[in-house]
Amino acid sequence: MEPIYGLLGGFAALANPETLLYMVGGFLIGTLFGAVPGLTSVLAIALLLPLTYSLDVTTALVACASIFMAGMCSGSITATTINIPGAPSSMMTAIEGYPMQKRGEGAKALGHAALGSMIGGSIGALLLMVVSPLAADVALLIRTPGKFSLIAFALIVIIISQRGSVTKGMIATLLGVMIATIGIDVVQPMVRFTFGTSVLVQGINMMPLIIGTFAISEILIQADSRSMHTVDPNKLQASKVRRRDFIPPLSEVREIGILRYLKSSLIGYSVGILPGAGGSMAAFVSYAESMRSSKHPERYGKGNPEGIAAAESANNSMCGGAFVPMLTFGIPGDPTTAIVLGVLVINGLQPGPQFMTQQLDLVAPMFASLFVSALVLVPLTLYLLGPYFLRIVSIRRDVLYSSIAVVALVGSYVATYSKFQMALSLAFGVLAYFLRKQNYPTVCLLLGFVLGPSLEEYCRRALSINDGNPLIFLTSFDSLFFIILTVVFFYFMVVRKPKNNGLGASSG
Amino acid sequence: MSSQRFSLGGGFYVPAVLAIITVIYLISAVQLGPPMKGGNMTASFFPMVTASIMLIALVCAMAQEVNRKKGMENGENKEQEDLTKVSKSYAGVSLGAIGVVFLTAGYLLAFDLIGYVVSTFFYVLLLTFMFGGGVKKDWIFKLVSAALITSVGYLLFEVFFQVRLPTFWSQ
Repeated sequence: MEPIYGLLGGFAALANPETLLYMVGGFLIGTLFGAVPGLTSVLAIALLLPLTYSLDVTTALVACASIFMAGMCSGSITATTINIPGAPSSMMTAIEGYPMQKRGEGAKALGHAALGSMIGGSIGALLLMVVSPLAADVALLIRTPGKFSLIAFALIVIIISQRGSVTKGMIATLLGVMIATIGIDVVQPMVRFTFGTSVLVQGINMMPLIIGTFAISEILIQADSRSMHTVDPNKLQASKVRRRDFIPPLSEVREIGILRYLKSSLIGYSVGILPGAGGSMAAFVSYAESMRSSKHPERYGKGNPEGIAAAESANNSMCGGAFVPMLTFGIPGDPTTAIVLGVLVINGLQPGPQFMTQQLDLVAPMFASLFVSALVLVPLTLYLLGPYFLRIVSIRRDVLYSSIAVVALVGSYVATYSKFQMALSLAFGVLAYFLRKQNYPTVCLLLGFVLGPSLEEYCRRALSINDGNPLIFLTSFDSLFFIILTVVFFYFMVVRKPKNNGLGASSG
Repeated sequence: MSSQRFSLGGGFYVPAVLAIITVIYLISAVQLGPPMKGGNMTASFFPMVTASIMLIALVCAMAQEVNRKKGMENGENKEQEDLTKVSKSYAGVSLGAIGVVFLTAGYLLAFDLIGYVVSTFFYVLLLTFMFGGGVKKDWIFKLVSAALITSVGYLLFEVFFQVRLPTFWSQ
């Protein structure tokens, strides 16, 4: 009963006016960043990271969860209205939403997207609450060799999920691992790769890497463009939208069917648990399955609400799934959960099998925030702000990116009052800019950086307890399980590649 | 133009620069000592393995880029040429990005010297000129924006989050 009370306590924590304010504020920021092409919810959470030094950890986690949920569903706004997905996870929504917009049913398409997001997000959050304690119990059974193989599995899956750029994914991941080795060795008290400088002895902080990779590099990328606004104002036709237009007709919801919503949510949640998969893959897999099992597959691509429901249920349900490996194993599978891990680490907390039982009071409000954001804030935001959505996505780029630059740079200063951290943010920003220009996945860089030290530590500890014999990784049951799992994933994702069913979407 | 010589772009130079960094990293790892001692891994083992795999991956990336360029030379893919028309660039880096990097480096130097308010105001103002089509266009709007962004940043960090920012008079 204790975990149930703990989880209910999370909902009670949201009644605190300050926490509630951060949840609603986070949701609105996430909506803005998700809706504006070029901005992402990852960038919003990255900008929030330095501020968590001054925030209570629970409040910071609540804000992160609501930004994550908002960013995932608000990408559908521009995907539907102007055929430019605000976030990669909304690509499948654009395929169905934009034809509906052209038929004059844009508001209804947004309503379907919000309903799918609401159902998927709520189911994902509920599953997170149910599955996390069970996964934590399983995680307790994994010993040191198994932990190494699990992290290796996560990194390999992250690399091979970079379709068409596996080599680049590998390079970015290894670069992250290399950066993480700077500073004091994970096992012995000796310094590595400091090149005689004292500032590197403590190693590279996660914050300048995140700020540089996701904020500074974005500003540099945007500096390539000459347009004045994030979205050309001429593309935005301000047709009058009434609030009731956003409510999807019951007949269409019945036609989509509750089973489709449930199936899509389960697909999204399962994809979320996988490392490196993310919202775009969740939406893609769910959309493809929905089309395969539909009575009218010929309607897909021509403005079918079924496709919107499948894609949006899945990408929002993914949010819940993504937290499971991070909280129970300390393994983030995507940039958002990696940054949330950073919030925990900044506050001296280390996720793992015991974390859910020992620190449930800290994370339960985050679960509650995820659930309330999906169930209440998604439909409420659409209803209240829906008619104004098109006006907020066209922002002057000079104001937007100079504001982001100040928050990012000053933010990286406030964490340690160190100008060195600011300089590192710029250096990582330049590095990430070059990598992004050549289509290297910077997500891999971050995840390699986060997981690298644990990979090395468990590898060395496992070998030292077995006199340096590497066979420990094969004779240990848990380790063998993850090695077999890695081989299975490698076979299905690389050797026997999934057939292209003509949807033309990348997993991004 | 078809008469242009076969040239390698950022797709080759980025892994090439990373390869140089990796070699320096590998040399430093070797200097840490032998990878194994008494049957146990030392601090140099993991970096050596990582750097070795990295070098192999980088060589593959460079080879892939050379093959791709050769394919382009044979007329298989000409779309790359269109990318150069987006904005003026030097070695694949746009003039705008170079400007932002130098401007930000200057801001970092000025931040401690002249304090948050003055340095941020000028940094934001110059950024709005860069992102907003130059000095002449909407300059009053940009001046007001720079003052507003600086003030909001000050309120956010100094007042709301109670962070001490460097000031001109504290130097």
